[in-house]
Amino acid sequence: MLSPDSVTGAATASAVAAFGVTKRFPGVIANDDVSVDIRVGEVHALLGENGAGKTTLSNIFTGLYRPDEGFITVGGEPKVFTTPKDAIDCGIGMVHQHFRLIPNFTVAENIVCGLQDVRGRLPMRQIEEEIAALADEVGMPVNPRARIWQLSVGEQQRVEILKVLRRNATILIMDEPTAVLTPNEADGLMENLRTMVSNGRSVIFISHKLGEVLRVADRVSVLRDGKCVSTVDSSSVNRQELASLMVGREVESVQRSGSGPLPGAATVLTVTNLSADGDRGLSAVNDVSFSVKAGEILGIAGVAGNGQRELVEVLAGLRERTNGVIDVDGEKMDRVDARYPIRMGVAYIPQDRLGTGLAPDLSIAENLILKRYRRPPVSRPPFLRSQVIADEADVLMTQFDVRAPSAQTPTRRLSGGNVQKVLLAREMSGSPKVLVVSTPTQGLDVGAVATVHQLLSDAAERGVGIVLVSEDLDEIFALSDRIAVMYEGRILSTMARQDASIEQVGMLMGGSVGAA
Amino acid sequence: MKLKPLRFGRVRLEPRVDVPKYLNFAVPIGSFLAALVVGGIVLFATGNNPFSVYQRIFERAFGSADALSGSMVAASPLLFTGLCAAVAFKVGFFNIGGEGQFYIGAIMSSGIALSMGADAQGWLVIPMMVIFGALGGALWAAIPGVLRSYFRTNEIITSLMLNYVAGVLATYLIFESDSFWRELTGTGAVFPKGKVIPNVAWWPDFSLGDFVLPLAFVLGGVIAVWLWVLQRKTRFGYEMRVVGGAPSTARYAGMRPARVILAVAALSGAMAGIGGAADVGNFRHALDPKGLQQSGYGYAGIVVAALARLNPIATVFVAIILGGITNAGYALQGPNFPSGLVGVLQGLILFCTLGGEVLVRYRLVRDHSQLKLSVTA
Amino acid sequence: MSINDNLFIVIAASAIFYGTPLLFAALGEVFSERSGVINLGVEGMMLLGAVAAAWVSTNVDGNGAFVLPLALLAAMVAAMFGALIHAFLTITLRVNQIISGLALTIFAGGFGLSSYLANEWKLGREPVSFQFNRLDVFGLADAPIVGPILFNQTLLTYISWALVILGSFYLFRTKAGLHLRAVGESPQTADSVGISVTKYRYFHVLLGGALAGVAGSCFTLSIIPTWSDGLTKGQGWIALALVIFGFWRPDLTLVGAYLFGALSSLSLTLQARGIDISSAILNSLPYVATIVVLVAVSNSAKRRRLGAPASLGQPYEREER
Repeated sequence: MLSPDSVTGAATASAVAAFGVTKRFPGVIANDDVSVDIRVGEVHALLGENGAGKTTLSNIFTGLYRPDEGFITVGGEPKVFTTPKDAIDCGIGMVHQHFRLIPNFTVAENIVCGLQDVRGRLPMRQIEEEIAALADEVGMPVNPRARIWQLSVGEQQRVEILKVLRRNATILIMDEPTAVLTPNEADGLMENLRTMVSNGRSVIFISHKLGEVLRVADRVSVLRDGKCVSTVDSSSVNRQELASLMVGREVESVQRSGSGPLPGAATVLTVTNLSADGDRGLSAVNDVSFSVKAGEILGIAGVAGNGQRELVEVLAGLRERTNGVIDVDGEKMDRVDARYPIRMGVAYIPQDRLGTGLAPDLSIAENLILKRYRRPPVSRPPFLRSQVIADEADVLMTQFDVRAPSAQTPTRRLSGGNVQKVLLAREMSGSPKVLVVSTPTQGLDVGAVATVHQLLSDAAERGVGIVLVSEDLDEIFALSDRIAVMYEGRILSTMARQDASIEQVGMLMGGSVGAA
Repeated sequence: MKLKPLRFGRVRLEPRVDVPKYLNFAVPIGSFLAALVVGGIVLFATGNNPFSVYQRIFERAFGSADALSGSMVAASPLLFTGLCAAVAFKVGFFNIGGEGQFYIGAIMSSGIALSMGADAQGWLVIPMMVIFGALGGALWAAIPGVLRSYFRTNEIITSLMLNYVAGVLATYLIFESDSFWRELTGTGAVFPKGKVIPNVAWWPDFSLGDFVLPLAFVLGGVIAVWLWVLQRKTRFGYEMRVVGGAPSTARYAGMRPARVILAVAALSGAMAGIGGAADVGNFRHALDPKGLQQSGYGYAGIVVAALARLNPIATVFVAIILGGITNAGYALQGPNFPSGLVGVLQGLILFCTLGGEVLVRYRLVRDHSQLKLSVTA
Repeated sequence: MSINDNLFIVIAASAIFYGTPLLFAALGEVFSERSGVINLGVEGMMLLGAVAAAWVSTNVDGNGAFVLPLALLAAMVAAMFGALIHAFLTITLRVNQIISGLALTIFAGGFGLSSYLANEWKLGREPVSFQFNRLDVFGLADAPIVGPILFNQTLLTYISWALVILGSFYLFRTKAGLHLRAVGESPQTADSVGISVTKYRYFHVLLGGALAGVAGSCFTLSIIPTWSDGLTKGQGWIALALVIFGFWRPDLTLVGAYLFGALSSLSLTLQARGIDISSAILNSLPYVATIVVLVAVSNSAKRRRLGAPASLGQPYEREER
């Protein structure tokens, strides 16, 4: 379809572009007069923090949203997309960060779903052969008959890409594609993307990671607060310049001030030979042992889905273990019941803050007593004392700087940062011995991240032993005294922070033990 | 979960950031009126004069002290089944078994009244009827409650199936066996009917001039207030709200969602069961399976609860309104009043309430984006 | 006494006869739920279908070959009207599907519109004029064993068999079926590949309505040809349970429908034989059996991953923010 000439001419030809695009949501301007131009044959990165407007812009390109103002062009022609189908017809395909795959369907069914050129009866065998051929051609082998839930995350991403390619997409939008991948898988993906653009396709690469943007992209457009602040050649900028464009101010890197546990600090949490099953009944946590001292932060690094969720759920009394011992400050925790860890002083901040940590329809004040409502002074059976609850809420909101109209505001109305502050306020108000916290800054803006890090650091300073589970290596390195790496349900290695390097931990996250 | 905009061509519904207070009243009232309009169209289309039908309904429902007294009688069972649905739906337990729980309450309470006999003390018999009715309803509702909480079985269908089982049981006691409940002497020997409970077990009425207020309604009102306090002020109420809105958060906080739901199921069934007791004590004075099954109190209770937006206090007032319609329905039965109209109006009220709820959650916005786009492009 | 008078054969034959409306209604609900919309209004839609069919069969002149298809059509249209209300409320306005379905049953059901219309139309005084009679297919009605079971049913039963085959083929072998399942499993995914969630949901909710209408007409056109209010007696609710029992598959739904058809017919059959079992037990059997089956299925579904369509009961809202 594309001759070699047109590929060389690609340096200037526009594949897809936005002109003055504005998109508003109640209370937010997600895109504010954004103009970007993606050329044929390039990897064009959209760089920005969470909430900068990257995802909104890509949803406009894919026809999921309609811009309130402005318009987009494809191949230089203005287009109005009313449905995602219009965008697909123009050759625009999106690979979402959270895969749009149906777990119960096979690879072939997922790929053929929604295709226009198949009608009536489905010739599945022929379709499966076609897909296998296409997969071989682009160097991304998959079994077309496998069901999605049987595949690894990396394989699922291949299916997503094949799905888009099978729709003759010439413009691929990749939303944070490396977030779920191991470093090795990410390298493979970037190689695949370079191959695709050299065949005359275009890739829009959405990311907030500076390093990979510089490695894979030809040009970079930086989004900040909904505006496109700049478009630059990636060869002409360095990390620092991109970082300051992205954040718009100097970033103070958070490095914990405290010195870690005092010599001779008591061990507050000991986990020995712990194993547990995941939701499907397969082993998820496999013979894990570690301990945490008072005032110490143990970082558990790892790519999502390697047993971290199951591990923290066991610690919080929400999941049964198949083997092992948990010892909290000399006391054995032996029942699957969230009341036990609460009583024993294990605080827990889950990853799903609004879905598990809080009752979204209840007020801030009511959420703050969630773990204390059975005990005085809040409780005077059979009643709850609303005055006490309101007073305590005021104190905690001031202490933890929760910004909300009032203590009666439902927590679902709060911003991500304030939600996390409410959670921290509640968990810390129980004077815990141990704090288990899972991906505490995911989805928060820079200011909130700094606040949360400060609060965690303060907690350690006060002698709380903290288990910090995170996929963000910067966060792990900024806060932890010791770092453990989890891979396929096991802890591969535990090391002191000063002895660890980012590269080494990254390798371990991919499962290569040799590096340790 | 956050709400997202809805679109209809050029008009868009956007989620509200804040819900104006007046809408909490305006929407149920507006829904009610809208249902009357649509019902009027149905009447008109089938050759009835909607104005005269509605006028007759109003007269026979609220037009005189006498009519109003009748409406309070009709409102009483609806109040109890309304509370039954309201308290259960609030925690996401869709108890549609109010109908059957009502029957069981009637069976249990007439049973205790009959066995305590004519020599019992009135002050003892009536509370015993309430207790036995509540117990019966609670146990009947506990079946879907246990199945939901401990076997993950959908409560909608199980609670509904038990309505039919309860109906078969009541019918059996009177029509197909020589049970304790059945009158076997006099005309009862020929035409099956329930034994009339002793006079001491008849619930009193309170007269205010021509207006008569049955004890059943007063009791329902007291229970509604009690439920409101329970929901808003107590520890159990707090657990109900967390379990209803965020089950996994409840587990995380160390609550026992399964037990809370089971307790609410039983509480909900007890409401309907007391309704059954009140129906026997205040009105029918015997177990009357035919009459019960023709009334459909349990299903109407769902309408009451929905229109009251699951608020126990509001349930009292909604019950009076719907009781009025039902009362008029009885009074006008026959050629003047089309049968089935009560159900049609109830269904329409429920539809309109559901549609009206959308206006609480969203506000209407004219959508200009498409227009502007075509101009710019 | 011929072998065809054997109790088991009589029960098997009547299981199919009484199971036919259950099968139609449950099939319709399979389609609706496969698209992600649960419709608790089946009972109400069946009654609308029943009353419309009864009106046509009573009041339209002509021969059976003209009136009966017309009656079926009227039944479908009437029930689809009910389904349309549910579709608008749940798909367009994203109202809670449970309450909307209940509202539909209250609106249309035994105390509602069906009874209102029957009263206005003065139905229920005598049997309808035209009925679906039992056929003698290939002259095999009296063949031993298989005759009464397979070759002596009404046309409605044979239509339902064809629908099971067509429905299975549609769901699992065609593109539209794949899209339908995709909409039910994950409307976000379906939307992202250009499948119109709204169209698929509307279409299949209406299809479910049409089949519920046919199910209702089975009563007035063959099982109980004289109208009485609420004559479906909760079969619509049993149909809802059958969908779960059949794991949302047409073929297994057929098995379930005939099992429950057997239970529904048991008290009539046994009484006719003078077998003395308490009618209270026999009459409550289908309802109790429904509960037992639901409990059994909800436990095994957990283990075997044969659950409901993943998006069942959830409104689809496109814009995420």
